[in-house]
Amino acid sequence: MIFAFLSPWLIIFAIFNAFPIIYSFFTSFTDYSGLNPEMKFVGLGNYIKAFQDEVFLKALGNTLIFVVGTIPFTTGIALLLALLLNSKRLKKNGIFKAGFFLPSVISMVVISTIWIYLYSSNGLFNTVGSFLGFQMEARSWLASPKTALLSIMIMDIWAAFGYYLILIYAGLQNVPEQLYEAARIDGATNTQIALKITLPYIRPTLFFVIAINTIRSFQIFSEIYTMTGGGPRNSTQTIVHYLYQVAFRQFDMGYGSAISYILLIMIMIVTLIQRYLLRSDPV
Amino acid sequence: MKKRTSGGRWLFTLLILLLVISLMPLFMMFFTSVIPQGDLFHLITERSLLDFESSPIYLRTKMKTIGTRNFELKELQNRDNKVLSITIEDPGKEYGVAAFTGDNDMNLVGHLSLYISAPENSQLYLGLKDINDVEERIPLQTITHDGLKKLRVDFEPQQFETVNIGHISQIQFIIAPPEDALGRELIVDDIQSKLKFPTLSNFITVWKEQDFARYMFNSSLISLVVVLGNLLFCSMVAYAFARKQFRGREILFSLVLATMMIPPQVTIIPVFILMKNLGWIDTYMALIFPFLVTPFGIFLMRQYIEQLPSEFDEAAYVDGASDFQIFTRIIMPLSGPAMAVLGINTFITIWNDLFYPLVMTNSKSMRTVQVGLAMYQKLNQTDWPRMMSASTIAGIPVIIIFLIFQKQIISGLVEGGVKG
Repeated sequence: MIFAFLSPWLIIFAIFNAFPIIYSFFTSFTDYSGLNPEMKFVGLGNYIKAFQDEVFLKALGNTLIFVVGTIPFTTGIALLLALLLNSKRLKKNGIFKAGFFLPSVISMVVISTIWIYLYSSNGLFNTVGSFLGFQMEARSWLASPKTALLSIMIMDIWAAFGYYLILIYAGLQNVPEQLYEAARIDGATNTQIALKITLPYIRPTLFFVIAINTIRSFQIFSEIYTMTGGGPRNSTQTIVHYLYQVAFRQFDMGYGSAISYILLIMIMIVTLIQRYLLRSDPV
Repeated sequence: MKKRTSGGRWLFTLLILLLVISLMPLFMMFFTSVIPQGDLFHLITERSLLDFESSPIYLRTKMKTIGTRNFELKELQNRDNKVLSITIEDPGKEYGVAAFTGDNDMNLVGHLSLYISAPENSQLYLGLKDINDVEERIPLQTITHDGLKKLRVDFEPQQFETVNIGHISQIQFIIAPPEDALGRELIVDDIQSKLKFPTLSNFITVWKEQDFARYMFNSSLISLVVVLGNLLFCSMVAYAFARKQFRGREILFSLVLATMMIPPQVTIIPVFILMKNLGWIDTYMALIFPFLVTPFGIFLMRQYIEQLPSEFDEAAYVDGASDFQIFTRIIMPLSGPAMAVLGINTFITIWNDLFYPLVMTNSKSMRTVQVGLAMYQKLNQTDWPRMMSASTIAGIPVIIIFLIFQKQIISGLVEGGVKG
């Protein structure tokens, strides 16, 4: 009887989670093409190839630049706005929570399409830039290897901060009101309250936000696919976009599987670090 | 006390300002989707179809005369620019001018205007020719005045029945002169089209001609079936995890949690190969089946069912109700709020996904709206109004759902977030 209730999940789990994870581990040691059923065992060949492949290393580098370049801003903006929204002086904050969060529910393809327009040679940024007297290049920001990755990073900060704002705001609600009152009675300054009360309480939330932000940044695909296709000259290539190209454009599924396993390992490391940091947390 | 409220007002103003900046890209999408041509900073609402300042040879590439090949470019006394003049050699024939427009969407046109002088009592016609060379004309008016005057022609697409209004290659102004017009002239200058602003025609074009109707149908069908599947199956599984004692329960549930952390990119290659062997590539099955149960849904529903009071199902159990009856009669009706959260969040996730449907579909007719938009965008790099209409179409269902159900969406996000 219990089996009947569990069966929908057991079936889907077996077919679409357990089997693929094992199969993909296996194919990552072969030269499987996906088109031709024959495959040859190549040992660690695909993993060695990855770390000698300039495009993969470039993709890895871009992904790391992305993580390091966006997370301080998404988390910082989200934290700042969450603190403002949590302020006692604000009577109603529902509209702000919804408004700042709205971009996060819209699909990345739609967002990318809008920002292609904003970044275009006649778009918002060039128009405002020229109006303010800057010498703007007469082409899209996405067309130059120097600015393409930066442009996508700026867009992603805009698209993502609302999501983390909601998480941090929810974390702030966990701080007991009496603690603030007690601290004020004891004559604590605002800085002391922020550092000694608020911060320790939202530390787990912040770790979680940073971890999930990192994991999501590792998985960037839609914006790259829509906006640049990894170009110009691989300047916006990322791990998942490269995985897509290798597996479904070049049909090198063995190598693609190896890249996907490298991604899985990276994500697991981040998750473990987050777990470790949370475990040592006193609150 | 007073200081405090004024501080509140400052904060409120600051936040409003930040909110407007933050929503600016979305406003720009909406505004651009209703402009006829150009972009928001280079709005085109007026187009010159013909003036006659250039050389006759160049003009031959932009226009032709009807009724005769002979024409003259004249400078009139009281106008400082050149006009087109055609001499009527045979009053039994029709004379006129056709402006070549390439591939022009006349749905965007509000009205046409031109300067015209023709013999009195000439009947004036407006003719259109589409890219398939179908021609159609409608009578406009009889010329009652002599001398060059500006004429404004309000354009109504529904007056034309056979031509393809969306793809017009020629706009013609033709007169049928009266019998006594031999040797007199037809003079035309400055043919312009004024575009409608704001207009919904970009949406209509994208919807009808660019297959967005089909993409939206696909996305809606897939999302709705997946939502229904999740509501039923996730609560079934969650019921077992929340209410039943069985061996391996904790291990199985930790497997559920573990699969939440597996990125979909890691399983995509084997799933693709599997779908290919099943012959499911490019079918709804491939896009629906793997998502009918999601670990997030199980997790969410279990959290909710666990905190429901167990007196009801215990009482029912004593009365001899089966697990299935308890589930359908007691648990499901009580799980409404959690199901709303699950349904809405599932809908948004499935609707917005690009990676998975991109890999699993080949044909245009199976694309979801996200795949369709990404492809459309790659082919129409600078047609901003239509591109923004297409984005609006792809984005608006989620925006509307968000505006209605933001509480459920946010609570789903926080619930999903807390698990760590």
